[in-house]
Amino acid sequence: MALLLKAEDASETEEFESTPKIVKFVVVKKREEDHAQPAELTSFEEAMLPHLDAAHNLARWLLRNEQDAQDVVQEAYLRAFKSFAGFHGSNGRAWLLTIVRNTSYTLLKKNRAVDLTTTFDEEIHAAGYESVSPATILEHSENAELIREAMDELPAEFREILTLRHQEGLSYKEIADIAEIPPGTVMSRLARARGKLREYLAARIGKDK
Amino acid sequence: MNCEEATNLMDGYLDGELDPITSQTIEQHLRECPKCDQAYKIHGSLIRSIGNATPYYKAPAELRERIQSSLREEAAEQPVRNVAPDARPVIAEKRREPRSIIFGTSWNWLALAASIVLVAIIAWNLVPRLQQPGANAEQFLATQLIASHVRSLMANHLADVASSDQHTVKPWLDARLDFAPPVVDLANAGFPLIGGRLDYLDQRAVAALIYQRRKHFINLFVWQVEPDAIKMTKAISRQGYQLLHWVDSDFNYWAVSDVNTNDLQTFKQQFELQTSRH
Repeated sequence: MALLLKAEDASETEEFESTPKIVKFVVVKKREEDHAQPAELTSFEEAMLPHLDAAHNLARWLLRNEQDAQDVVQEAYLRAFKSFAGFHGSNGRAWLLTIVRNTSYTLLKKNRAVDLTTTFDEEIHAAGYESVSPATILEHSENAELIREAMDELPAEFREILTLRHQEGLSYKEIADIAEIPPGTVMSRLARARGKLREYLAARIGKDK
Repeated sequence: MNCEEATNLMDGYLDGELDPITSQTIEQHLRECPKCDQAYKIHGSLIRSIGNATPYYKAPAELRERIQSSLREEAAEQPVRNVAPDARPVIAEKRREPRSIIFGTSWNWLALAASIVLVAIIAWNLVPRLQQPGANAEQFLATQLIASHVRSLMANHLADVASSDQHTVKPWLDARLDFAPPVVDLANAGFPLIGGRLDYLDQRAVAALIYQRRKHFINLFVWQVEPDAIKMTKAISRQGYQLLHWVDSDFNYWAVSDVNTNDLQTFKQQFELQTSRH
């Protein structure tokens, strides 16, 4: 498969001529030399590294930016490691995702992101919604790019709940713990998030027609 | 129940999160009200379809390396117990990275940072392309897996070789497959091994290991990975079953069960823990 880098992306490679594959190899090589490590770190890695994809995916959806997501995940893992002694539960993924989520919000607040809650103008995207039938939305519902764009427009609390439910398959109870909301709120927030996502999809499909 | 109440509870019903009595009331309403039934079906298929097509941002391999090296550095700075001084990580002493990325200064290993950016951009460009054909294939596979799981629970065809002894199950499977799947008993962790079975999935013979969790069964399907497979973990919820998929350097794993997500995650952790010791 050809890798098509966009023109603006190409500038990123200027001061770095070698291919990413070679760099990756060098890094892996370095790690292999290093086997000895404290038992505490080993058990932390065994418990938490399997959830790295989930952590990255959540951070990526919350921050909508790859570099920020990676920084946050790294920070979250460090924080998790420092408080790992206090973790006695069985649900390591939910515990880690709580830390990832809180670290992401810290950065969002620091950047004064305005989309933390749903208080923004909800009507702005609604135009054209009524004219698009559910069947038409269904036709477009496997278009990953379209869904990504619509998801990215949602407020953070909606992106978060949709990711946790649809992609991680977490229960309402787990979601309530991670998002720090009452269990009774999960269903209504999820319903609003899905409704809004449908609406945004419809608006995008309507616009393209 | 009236239409408004049914609409308000629809998402909980779709997600299987309502108590049995409320679920029954909704089912009754859907049987009686074609309008709500129609809305429920449309909403359900939309939600499933959107959920399946939403891009999943897997962590790039470089992020794992970065995290592991910062963890080592952190561990080296803490008082080390039970470890001889010369057994400490070598890397941590050589490198001096700022500890906090968000709150501190920026990272100074520019070359690697640039490579991460580059890899991220490539991954970013690839994700939408890879996602789409993969999503359909995965849905098809998930359907097959659930069907196989359900079949195994019918008519006493759970195990071809029924034994809680991994040393009985493993040779039996090894003799019948062109690969040697890892077999461990997880009775100590609350997942006793029930036996093994041959199955046919994704156009190949695969090993199915059967574990028990209280009164529930977990089918763990195992087959070899493609040479270019990426390590990953994915949880899917479908038709009331939980599927947990992960890939390590040698094998593809699909755990299918009606136990809850937590139990399945614990099962995976225990399985990985035990196999890494063998």
